Amino acid sequence: MGDKLKRYEKVEYLGEGQFATVYKARDAVNDTIVAVKKIKLGSRAEAQDGINRTALREIKLLQELKHPNIINLMDVFGHKSNVSLVFDFMDTDLEVIIKDNNIVLTPANIKAYMLMTLQGLEYLHINWILHRDLKPNNLLVNCNGVLKIGDFGLAKFYGSPNRIYTHQVVTRWYRAPELLFGARMYGTGIDMWAIGCILAELLLRVPFFPGDSDLDQLTRIFQVLGTPTDEMWPNVKILPDFITFKTFPGTPLRHIFTAAGDDLLDLVAGLLSISPLNRYNCHEALQAPYFSNKPPPTQGPQLPFPSSVQRNNEHEKPNLKRKLLETADGAPHPKRLVF
Amino acid sequence: MYNCTKMKDVIDVLQLQREKSRQVPAIDYTETENSFIAVRYIFECGIKLDAQPLTIATAAILYHRFFKETDSAGYDSYLIAATTLYLAGKVKDDPLKIRDVINVTHNTLHRGSVPLELGDEYWNMRDAIVQAELLIMRMLKFEVTVVHPHRYLLHYLKSLEGWFPQEEWDKVPLVKASFAFLQDFHFDAAILDYTPQHTAVACINLALQCYGVQVPYTDEADGGVAWYSVFVEDLQKDKLWEIMEKIMEVYEKEPDAK
Repeated sequence: MGDKLKRYEKVEYLGEGQFATVYKARDAVNDTIVAVKKIKLGSRAEAQDGINRTALREIKLLQELKHPNIINLMDVFGHKSNVSLVFDFMDTDLEVIIKDNNIVLTPANIKAYMLMTLQGLEYLHINWILHRDLKPNNLLVNCNGVLKIGDFGLAKFYGSPNRIYTHQVVTRWYRAPELLFGARMYGTGIDMWAIGCILAELLLRVPFFPGDSDLDQLTRIFQVLGTPTDEMWPNVKILPDFITFKTFPGTPLRHIFTAAGDDLLDLVAGLLSISPLNRYNCHEALQAPYFSNKPPPTQGPQLPFPSSVQRNNEHEKPNLKRKLLETADGAPHPKRLVF
Repeated sequence: MYNCTKMKDVIDVLQLQREKSRQVPAIDYTETENSFIAVRYIFECGIKLDAQPLTIATAAILYHRFFKETDSAGYDSYLIAATTLYLAGKVKDDPLKIRDVINVTHNTLHRGSVPLELGDEYWNMRDAIVQAELLIMRMLKFEVTVVHPHRYLLHYLKSLEGWFPQEEWDKVPLVKASFAFLQDFHFDAAILDYTPQHTAVACINLALQCYGVQVPYTDEADGGVAWYSVFVEDLQKDKLWEIMEKIMEVYEKEPDAK
């Protein structure tokens, strides 16, 4: 195993989270740049529970997944009491791109990001896996403009009727209404909702539903989409944490996304359908006219790139530290799992 | 290729199973140490921990995979067994608390002993399990996913059920026997040598043979269409009978049977 330590020469320290430290490294065998995520066994108390569950879940799922739009787990190795995961090196992520005021996102750019995200997610869902933590920060982008879904720390197989799941998943701003109402059995709809929020964020350049509590989150959703009635969402009242809300009429989407065409508005509405039963799945979303209408999606290398991150891998790029720092699970996720 | 006396053995074994299920004497694991006994230990502890059947099956598979990679003399098989159970809980998202694993495995090995105090012995054992877990992971190159024959078995049996007249199907406990064979096959490292699909077919075929049941619309004779040909294309008759023999050999390894 010492060989593996030599194989991946540390280039630079990228960041640190609660459970992992991330390094940029050079793979001496292929002469490529990779990201090495070293899982910390941490304090004595933590070490006593052995291998970190989140890391094991990530290893197990990613070993079996190979898709151009899913982060590739290239290698895993152990040294002393550490476990390290080797990933494709990704230069930046959608959150950085959305927040970069120097970048203009054209309709064709947005279509390209949506297409790559949905294709990656469709592959996951076909393989009976829910990601459960989709947000711009977890959609990684490399210098060729290829988008890959990352951070599988919360991902899980779905479909077993006897499995009860926790509803405490997904960063609040991207959390579907059924989760906010405490649903313990849910499906791909929760990932689709998050995609809808991300699409809205790409269009508006600010988070669409930035709730500061679970109640505020639902209020913001209903203000836009209208408070669900029994007709819109049958049986919503029997969800464990259901509470009756003030009746909001909702706001027409075209008043919010003033520059969007009808095909795009249809996609937003399909993804952000209040009732999970009517929400688009990946297949339906990819079949939407939006993707076959003009303009065609931008080709990868022509996609915009943050000025803070240089395309040339050889140079120092301090600003992308932030991303890997956040992939490192934990501390830097102030939004995650805070209730 | 296959003779009648062997077939009789199978039926005898089933008889034996039925008698034994009434009263299974507690095994003193400290007396003998071999892989059969260690897997038995995994099953006993797993059931006590209320682990799901697939979690226990995963532990057994991880145990066999580990000792396939290394010499069994170098490691305490009960420590490895306890660790595979703990690790399987993580692998299958069926979390087992390390404290529970330690209490159950310790008490099963040292029957009648009181739970460990939170002292040196407890912390040493906890350290040992954590270290062994990492060792197993590295030895297996972090490949801990197990494709179980169980899901294939269920699917094949569901399909077969539709081929039989209902009263015929209800008459013989094919499902129960097939699953029992599959569970017992986990006691032998030979389970690693076959694909989950082939193993599932072999378990069903063994059950069919035991009860002398012929699948409707199929023909046992050479040149006839075997029932399993719709499920697996690459299974030759020789291979099938080889797996069935391996399953039967498990019962010869059972210490009480001697």
